[in-house]
Amino acid sequence: MRSASFARLVLCGLGGLAVLVTGCGNDPYPPSDATSKVLYGSFVDAPKSLDPAVAYSQREHAITGAVYDTLLEYHFLKRPLELIPGLAAALPEVTDLGGGRSRWRFELRPDLLFHDDPCFELSAPGARTRAITSADFAFSLARIADPKVGSPVVEPFSNVEDFQAFGERLAARRASEPAFAALPVHEQYRLVGPIAGVSAPSDSILEITLARPYPQIKYWFAMEFSAPVPWEAIAWYDGEDGRPRFDDHPVGSGPFQLTRYDKRAIFVLEKSANWYGVRHPEWRAPGATYPSEGEERDRAAGRLESAGRPLPMIERIEMRREKEDLPRFNKFMQGYYDNSGIVAENFDTVIQNGRLTPEMQALGIALDKEISPTVFFLGFNMDDPVVGKGVDAAARTRNRMLRQAMSLAIDAEEFLRIFSNGRGLPAQSPIPPNIYGHDPDYRNPYRQPDLDRARAILARAGYPGGVDPATGEALRLTFDSYNTTTAGLIQHQFYTNAWKKLGLDVRIEAVTYNQFQDKLRNGAHQIFEFGWGADYPDPENFLFLFWSAMRNSTNGGPNYANFSDDRFDALFLEMKVMENGPERLAKIREMIAILEDERPWIELMVREDYLLRHGWLANVKPSGLSIPTYQYLDIDVEQRAERRRAWNQPVVWPLYVLLAVAVLVVAPGIRTYLKERQ
Amino acid sequence: MMGIEAYMVSNVGTLLLLAGLGYVARVVRRNRFWREAASELWRRRRIALCVVAVFFVIALLDSVAWKGGVPEDAVGVLPNAPYSLIDRIFLDTTEASYSAPFAAVEFYGGRPLRKPGAHPLGTDIIGRDVLYMALKGARVALLIGGLTSLIAIPLALLFGVGAGYFGGRFDDFVFFLISTLQSMPGLLLLIALVMAMGRGTVSVCIALAVTSWVGFSRLSRAETLKLRELDFVRAARVLGVSEPRIIVRHVLPNLAHLIVITFVLMFSGHVLSEAVLSWLGIGVDGSWGQMIDGARDELSREPIVWWNIAAAGTALFTLILAVNMVGDSIRDVLDPRTQGEAP
Amino acid sequence: MGAYVLRRLGYGIGVVLGVLFLLFLLFFAVTDPDDIARKALGEKVPPAVIEQWKQNHGYDRPLWPWQDFEENLLFEHYRRMLTFDFGLSDADDSPIVDRLRSGMIPSLALTVPLLILGLGASIPLSLLVAFFRETYIDRMGVFLCVLAMSVSMLLYIIGAQFLIGKVLRWFPISGFDPDLLLLPRFLALPLLVGVIGGIGADVRFYRTAFIEESTRDFVRTARAKGASEARIMTRHVLRNAMIPILTQVVLAIPFLFMGSLLLESFFGIPGLGGITVDAIQANDFSTLRTMVFIGSLLFVVGQIATDISYGIVDPRVRLK
Repeated sequence: MRSASFARLVLCGLGGLAVLVTGCGNDPYPPSDATSKVLYGSFVDAPKSLDPAVAYSQREHAITGAVYDTLLEYHFLKRPLELIPGLAAALPEVTDLGGGRSRWRFELRPDLLFHDDPCFELSAPGARTRAITSADFAFSLARIADPKVGSPVVEPFSNVEDFQAFGERLAARRASEPAFAALPVHEQYRLVGPIAGVSAPSDSILEITLARPYPQIKYWFAMEFSAPVPWEAIAWYDGEDGRPRFDDHPVGSGPFQLTRYDKRAIFVLEKSANWYGVRHPEWRAPGATYPSEGEERDRAAGRLESAGRPLPMIERIEMRREKEDLPRFNKFMQGYYDNSGIVAENFDTVIQNGRLTPEMQALGIALDKEISPTVFFLGFNMDDPVVGKGVDAAARTRNRMLRQAMSLAIDAEEFLRIFSNGRGLPAQSPIPPNIYGHDPDYRNPYRQPDLDRARAILARAGYPGGVDPATGEALRLTFDSYNTTTAGLIQHQFYTNAWKKLGLDVRIEAVTYNQFQDKLRNGAHQIFEFGWGADYPDPENFLFLFWSAMRNSTNGGPNYANFSDDRFDALFLEMKVMENGPERLAKIREMIAILEDERPWIELMVREDYLLRHGWLANVKPSGLSIPTYQYLDIDVEQRAERRRAWNQPVVWPLYVLLAVAVLVVAPGIRTYLKERQ
Repeated sequence: MMGIEAYMVSNVGTLLLLAGLGYVARVVRRNRFWREAASELWRRRRIALCVVAVFFVIALLDSVAWKGGVPEDAVGVLPNAPYSLIDRIFLDTTEASYSAPFAAVEFYGGRPLRKPGAHPLGTDIIGRDVLYMALKGARVALLIGGLTSLIAIPLALLFGVGAGYFGGRFDDFVFFLISTLQSMPGLLLLIALVMAMGRGTVSVCIALAVTSWVGFSRLSRAETLKLRELDFVRAARVLGVSEPRIIVRHVLPNLAHLIVITFVLMFSGHVLSEAVLSWLGIGVDGSWGQMIDGARDELSREPIVWWNIAAAGTALFTLILAVNMVGDSIRDVLDPRTQGEAP
Repeated sequence: MGAYVLRRLGYGIGVVLGVLFLLFLLFFAVTDPDDIARKALGEKVPPAVIEQWKQNHGYDRPLWPWQDFEENLLFEHYRRMLTFDFGLSDADDSPIVDRLRSGMIPSLALTVPLLILGLGASIPLSLLVAFFRETYIDRMGVFLCVLAMSVSMLLYIIGAQFLIGKVLRWFPISGFDPDLLLLPRFLALPLLVGVIGGIGADVRFYRTAFIEESTRDFVRTARAKGASEARIMTRHVLRNAMIPILTQVVLAIPFLFMGSLLLESFFGIPGLGGITVDAIQANDFSTLRTMVFIGSLLFVVGQIATDISYGIVDPRVRLK
C-alpha cells in the first residue's frame, strides 16, 4: 500500500517534468520579436570602455562603430579598402603649406544631429538633441590630447600642430591651479586655448594643420577616435549621483543608438531617427546609401542586389554574451543567432578545406570569407645573445643562420591545416594582402619549409644536429608565451616539435600575462608568438614594427623583436611619407629583402575571417578592420521564423525511457522491501 | 632544479614512495587492529581497490624514466631526453591530426593514418594518442591528490595537535587562524593563491593544501583535547615523559585512523578541484582537467569529436569513484562513530 | 547574555580584520600594479597612461605604514573595505559597487531556487533511503550518491549542455532573461545540473542525520507503542533531524548572494559568480578581492547570527 503511493509520487514527478518540457521549448526570445527585423548576434568578452577616444579593440568597436559616425569611412564592398565621405560632404582638400606642413580641410554635411539624450538639457532647457558643428570635432581631438583621458592614439595625432603641447599645457595648468582643475573639461579646453593645428573657422568647416608629413592621418578620420562628441555628454555622464559614466553611456551621431547596455549580458542598438541617412534619404549620401559598385564576387554573392537602397535596413541589433563555444555555435545552428560571429580561436569544422560541408549548405547556411590585414608571427628577441643580433661579426652570422634554420622548420601550411582547418594564408612577409606593398607572387625563401636545408644551415652555423658545442647537448631555447590555456599549449607544441626535428630543445614557458610583460620589458624573452592587426590599410602600419624608434626594450614601442638596422630605418623614414607609387614600392621591396635575410620574425600566417550566416541574412562582407557594418545588413524575417520552427522540435522519447528506467530501478527495491517486512 | 634532471627527482620520488608503502605494509601486518581493518576493507571493496591499484601502477610506470634507448628517427623525440616507460610504449604513435578510435583514416580530410587502427581511443587535434594522454593523466592526478595531502595533513596536525595539546595562546592563535581561513570562500581563496604564486604543479598543490588543512586541523584539535585528558596520557605526563615523546608515542598513534580516513577523502576533493582550476586556465599541465577543458569545445564541432573528452572524463570519474568507494569503506571500518558524515 | 554577544561580535570583527590582512598580502604585497595596469590597458599604451591609471586606482603609494604612515596601501585598504568603498575595477574602470548591484538579482534568481529544489529533492530521497535502511534501496541509494559525487561538475555541465541543450533541444543551452515568462526556461538547465551535482553529498549527509535520530530512545519508545514506521519517520525523525539540517541551510544563505562560479559562467547568467570568473580571467584583482571580502563578511555575519540565536535558546553554549 505504502509502496504504491511512492511509485505514484515518482510517476507524477516525472510526468510533470514531461509536461514542462513539451510546453517549454528552447526559444530564447520573446514571441513578440519574431516578426521584426532584429539582428541577433553574440559577443565573447565584455567591452571595457565605450569612450570613442579610448576604445581600441574589436569588441568595443562593435558598439562604438555603430554609435559614432566619422568624417570619412570605408567603402563597403571595394577592396583594397577605399575611403568615402561620411559626416564630411566630400573627401578633404589637402594644401601643402611648405616645410613639410600641410592643411586638411573638411566640409561637414548640413543638418547633422546627435542622438536623442537627456544630457542636452545642459545646452538648452528641454533640448533632447542638437546640431553637430565643427567645434564638436575639435572637442574630440582635444580629448585625445588630454592626458587624463588616456587615449592610446596620442602618438599618430601628435603630427597635428601643437597637439602634444596642448596636452602639456593642460596638465601643467591643472597641477598648478586647483580651481582650474575643478572646472568642466570643455571650459578647461577653452581656457588653455585651442590646439593650433585644429581650427573651426565656421560651424561647417574643420581645418587640421599637420606639422610633419603624415599622409596616413586621413585614415584616423575614418576611425571613431575622431568622431564628434558633445561636451554635454562628458559633463553630464560623470558617474556621480546615479548617472552612468560616459564610458558606459555613449552619445553619438551614428546610424544606431545604444538603448540597453549590460556589458556582462547583452547590448541593444536601435536605429537612430536622428541619423542623416534616416532624415535625409533624398541626399543619397555615399555613407547612407547601399553602394552600386563592388568587386566581381560581390555580384555573384548577391551583395549588389540592394544597390541604391537607403540605410540602415534593419531596425534593431541584439548582441548577447556567449563565453563558451558550445552554446554559441549551437544557438547559431538552431537559428537563434543570425551569424556565427568571427570565431577567433576555435575553428569549427563545419568548414572542410575552405568549403562548407554539404549538410550545412542544405540548411541554407552561407560562408563569407575575407582576408584580414592581421599577420601572425614568431618573433625573436634581437637583444638576446643566442637568437638575437649578436655582438660581433661571427656571432651575427651564427645567430642569423640559427634564425634562418628555425624559420625553415616551421610549416605554416601544416599549422593552418591542423589548427584552422586550412583557414588563413601562410604569410611570406609582414605585409598582408589588401595592403599596399603586398606582392602576391613573392615567395620568401626562408618560409618554404625544408628540413634538410634547415639542418644544413644549422650545421654551418655551428650547431650540427642542433647540438650546442658549448655544452655538448641539444641547444636549449625558451619559447615565451602568456597563453596558459590548454589550446594555446597545444599550438606552441607544434612549433617546438618542429624545432625538435632539427635537434633543438625549445622549452615552452607559459607564464601569466604580467610575467610575460615583465620578460618583454627586461629583454628576458627569446622566442615569442604575436599578432598584429592593422589600424589602417597602409604598409607603414606594419613596417614600423621594425623601426628602431619603436623598440620595446629601449623605447617601450611595439617593436617587440627589438629589431634595429640603420639601412632599414633610413628606408622606413623615406617610405613613410611617400604617396603610393613605383618609388614607394621599390623602398618597400628593399625593406622586405632586409627582413627576409635577417629573420627577426618567422612570418606565420595572415588571418582569414570566416563568417557563417544563415540564408535569411543578406549583405555580409567583413572588412578585416574592426569596423561594424550593421547598416548594410538585411534580414528575411519570414524565412527565419519558419526555419527556426522546423529546426527546434524537441526530442521527447528519452523522457519515457528515463521513466521506464526509474521504474525498473525502484520496483525490485520495493519488492525486496515488502518481502523482508513480511 | 632543472639542472639535476627532472627524471632523477621522479625516480627518487618513486623509490621513496615505494619504500614508504613497504613500511606502511609492515606496520599494517604487525598490528592486529590494522591487519583486521585491511582484510575487512579487501573483503568489502575488492573491485575499487583493484581499480585504484591499476591507476597507481600506471602512475608508477610513468614515473620511472631514463635517458636514451630512443631510436634516432622517432618523430618528435629528442634522443637524450628522459622518457618514462609509458612514453616508451607510445613512442612514435603521433598522427597528423584527429582520428577516431580504431580508424584507418584521418577524421577530417580522410588521409590515411601512419598507424591505422592502432589508436583505441583515437587521437587529439595534433595527433597525440588519446589513450597515451589519458594514461599520463593518472600520474598527475595521483600527484595532485597525494602531494597535496602530504602537505596538508602534517600542517593540520602541527596546528591541530599543537593547539589541542598545549592550549593557551597557541590554541587561541590557531583557532583564530582557522576561523579566518574558514570564513573565506574556499574556491576563491584557492584561485587567489594560485594567481599569486603562479602556475605549476607545486604551487597548485600548496594552494590546495592551504585551503584544505583547516577542516582536519579542527578535527585533530578536538581529538587531542580528548586524548590529553585520558588516563594513559596523564600517567605518562606524571611519569615525566617529555612532551614531544608523549605526542609521538601516545597522541599521534591514536589519531592514525583519522589521518588515513582524511587522506583518502581529501584525495578525491583535490583532484576534482584541480579540474575546476584547469577550466580557469591555472591547472596542472597534463591533468585530466586540462584534457577536459581543451576538449570541451570539440563537442561543437560537426561531426562531433567526442573521444577526447570521453576518455578524460571516464578516467577522472573511474579514479574518483574508486577512491570514494574505498574511502567510504575505510571510514566505516576504522571509525564506525562518524559513519556517513560528510568530510 | 550581553557579554556573550559582545564577545562573539568582537571575535567576528577580529576575523574580518584577519581576512583583510590576508587579502592585503595576496593582492598587494605579492602582485605588481604595473602588471595589472598593463593587462587592463593593453599593449599599445604609453608609460604615462600607465602612471595615470595607477594614480586613478590608488596603486601609486607605498605598501606598509613604516614606509609612509599617512599614505600607505595597508591602511588605505582597511579604510576602503571597512567603509564599503570598493573603488574601480582594475579591468575596465567601472565602479565595483555597480557590478555587485547588477549581479545580485541574477545570482539570487539562480541560487534561491537551487537551494529550495535541492532541499526538496534531497530530503525526501534521504528519508526514503533512511526509511528503507539496510535494504537494497539503501545500498543502491548510497552507491548512487557516491556515483553522483564522483563526477566533476565540469562534466555535468558540459554533458547537460550537449545532451539536453544540443541533442534533445528541451531548453535553451544557455542565456538569461529577467522576463518572468522566459526566465524558467533559461534556469531549467542550470537548476537541473545544480541539483544533480549537489544531490549525492546532500542525501548522504541527511541520511546520516536521519539514521542517527532514528536510533534515539524516543523513537524506540514510539515504535514500542506501535506507531507505524512512516509515522515515526515523518513525525519524530524528520522533525528532530531538521535542527542540524536547518543550521546548515541558514549557514548556506549568505553564500546565495555570491552566486555560483561554474553554473553562472557556463550558462551565461550575469550574476556575481560569473562576474568573479570574469575578474579571474581578466586579472581584475580589485573585483576579486572585493568578492572574497564580501563572501567572508557574509559568512562571519551568518555565523554570529546563528551562534547568538543558539546562545539565546541554549544557555550552555555561552559558557564555551
